[in-house]
Amino acid sequence: MLRVFLTAAVAVMVAATAWVFWDRARGSTATPIAGFSAPFVFGRFAVPPDNPLTEEAFALGRHLFYDPILSGNNQVSCATCHMQALAFTDGLAKSPALSGGELEFSSMSLINLLWGQERFFWDGRATSLEAQALMPIQHPDEMDQDLDALITELQASRDYRRMFRKAYGEVSAENVARALSTFMRMLISTDSKYDRFLRGEVRLTAQEEHGRKLFMAHPDTKVSLRGGNCIDCHSQFLTSGFRDALDGFSNNGLDSDDDLPDGLMAVTGNPAHKGFFKVPTLRNIAVTAPYMHDGRFETLEEVMDHYNDGIVVSDTLSPLILEADNAPEAGQNTVGLRMTPGEVQSIIAFLNTLTDEGFLTNTQFSNPFEGDG
Amino acid sequence: MRIWMTGLAILLFVGGALFFALGPQRTTSITLTFHAKMGDDPLIFDEFVYDNPGGSGTFRVRDFRFYLSNLTLSQDGALFAEPDSYHLLRFDNPETIHSIRLNDIPLRSIEHVRFMIGVDPEANGSIQVRGDLDPNSQMAWNWEVGYKFVVMEGTLRIGEEVSPLVYHVGFSENAREVDIQLPPDIGSDGNADLHVNVDLAKLFGGPSQIDLQKLSSVKFNREDAAMLADNYATMMTPMFR
Ligand code: HEC
Ligand code: HEC
Repeated sequence: MLRVFLTAAVAVMVAATAWVFWDRARGSTATPIAGFSAPFVFGRFAVPPDNPLTEEAFALGRHLFYDPILSGNNQVSCATCHMQALAFTDGLAKSPALSGGELEFSSMSLINLLWGQERFFWDGRATSLEAQALMPIQHPDEMDQDLDALITELQASRDYRRMFRKAYGEVSAENVARALSTFMRMLISTDSKYDRFLRGEVRLTAQEEHGRKLFMAHPDTKVSLRGGNCIDCHSQFLTSGFRDALDGFSNNGLDSDDDLPDGLMAVTGNPAHKGFFKVPTLRNIAVTAPYMHDGRFETLEEVMDHYNDGIVVSDTLSPLILEADNAPEAGQNTVGLRMTPGEVQSIIAFLNTLTDEGFLTNTQFSNPFEGDG
Repeated sequence: MRIWMTGLAILLFVGGALFFALGPQRTTSITLTFHAKMGDDPLIFDEFVYDNPGGSGTFRVRDFRFYLSNLTLSQDGALFAEPDSYHLLRFDNPETIHSIRLNDIPLRSIEHVRFMIGVDPEANGSIQVRGDLDPNSQMAWNWEVGYKFVVMEGTLRIGEEVSPLVYHVGFSENAREVDIQLPPDIGSDGNADLHVNVDLAKLFGGPSQIDLQKLSSVKFNREDAAMLADNYATMMTPMFR
């Protein structure tokens, strides 16, 4: 009996010592984010194995996201162009450039980035959030910051030294990217009216339900099925573009061949991808105006006018858009869904059920330098 | 206490007996490689290089993909069914091929490869993510309708006029079974390599010949969908060398 006891005691001591050493050696003492869950209808997601979701990384990422120290002139933070109340967009057609004028593209909402496409930016040029995060920091017209200078600045701060140590071990540009990515991965919206409807907690109004049905149907006049065909590109639960390969990029008929921007073609070099852009999530879409990559539409009504009868034909235009038509007779000079005004209003009513007030005001996502943090 | 010991002894005995009775199992691995073709040649995407089989004009293919599900392998009476067997076959790669590899199947050799083009009714009516089934993917119609089984999209050009081609075939009744019998020499070394041609031309020129101008889209019309399903049921041909 005594022998058993002694063996057990020795084993415990060895394990404890090993743990202490291992704990020191790994540098950080990060705690995995517990109780994190998402509706199963969102489907699979992947977190890079070398950047697990931890409380410490999230806290650090949140500070960095809101801190203008990330910019060269210490005046611009990520949140300058990604504001929580606007679902992390900036409310402008195109974000202002540091050198005056404006950037090429409209700011994008940051919602449920764990799902949907694994490429980021309108043209998909970043293949991971980690790769994306350092781009705006160094971009001369966004934050114009030298990474070495940034690391020196962060190292000078006791608070940041402590936060980096707890999350990752050391202060480095890589870990800046990792922490920002963790923060952005946790920007999860699951409590819109549509989510509560999917969970069986609320009913949609008759108009919203009509809009939902139209959103989810590709029209087929042959069987008298009316539809808005949104689901051909905006997935049914996530409302974002599709995850597989480049399925989440498309040309939705904004420009003619003469002035079609490169879009995804700039990244893949494939002419079949000219004018393809990332299909954005429609969650919280009611608060992210203006719309499209260049912010050309002010309201959801304008967006619907576009899909209804304002489609501009180009060589790479999605055949699903060109083919989706609710009117049995061929159109005269217009291409679009040709739905009734009532149907258009119903789709807009459905789009409004995608707003998640809890997400827009969640204090865990807000500026940690303000209020009780 | 005693009862546990007895139980354990019996377990060990039975386990040991089974182990010796069966001896070391031989297993087989198989690679199924599907080659997308138009007629005899590799499929070309995004170029107006194909003639409308039933009428005038030329067409290009922008997308061709389908679900292959419920893959089973058998030998004599023994059957292996791949769990969660839902594969989305897509060919948007330079070789326009799609491979499925199954390792260490508990069969000494493989005589039959069977699968479905399409999805079984149970999975088709579910929003559970399994295999390549994903309700947030391009293949999902919506949760009330189920999945598209076979998708072909493209453009038809007649003179200067271009028009869209959209063939989305689904509905549980349109799943089609395929049964491929392997010649005995394939996989005798425990490694089978099966190549299958997938001829997209059959979609429009199987039992029914289709004029892409007259029937430029198939979605929810049941008769049209069934007609295309009978066509795609003939698009697979194994290549044995
Ligand atoms: C000057 C305004 C501005 C600043 C500052 C800014 N962004 Fe952005 N952000 C944009 C614009 C504009 C886009 C779209 C750009 C594009 O597609 O080229 C964008 C796109 C993104 C995307 C892609 C989203 C998607 O769905 O593909 C992410 C992620 C992102 N920003 C994160 C950040 C982070 C993290 C920071 C701080 C390090 C930051 N942004 C700073 C304006 C800004
Ligand atoms: C063929 C694919 C396709 C279809 C069908 C489609 N969309 Fe889009 N949608 C896109 C793409 C791509 C973009 C981004 C385009 C750009 O900015 O260049 C977009 C952008 C949007 C935007 C602006 C989002 C933002 O953040 O600026 C809204 C709103 C929208 N779509 C709603 C809808 C609705 C509603 C429907 C159905 C009536 C629909 N879409 C159908 C592909 C599609």
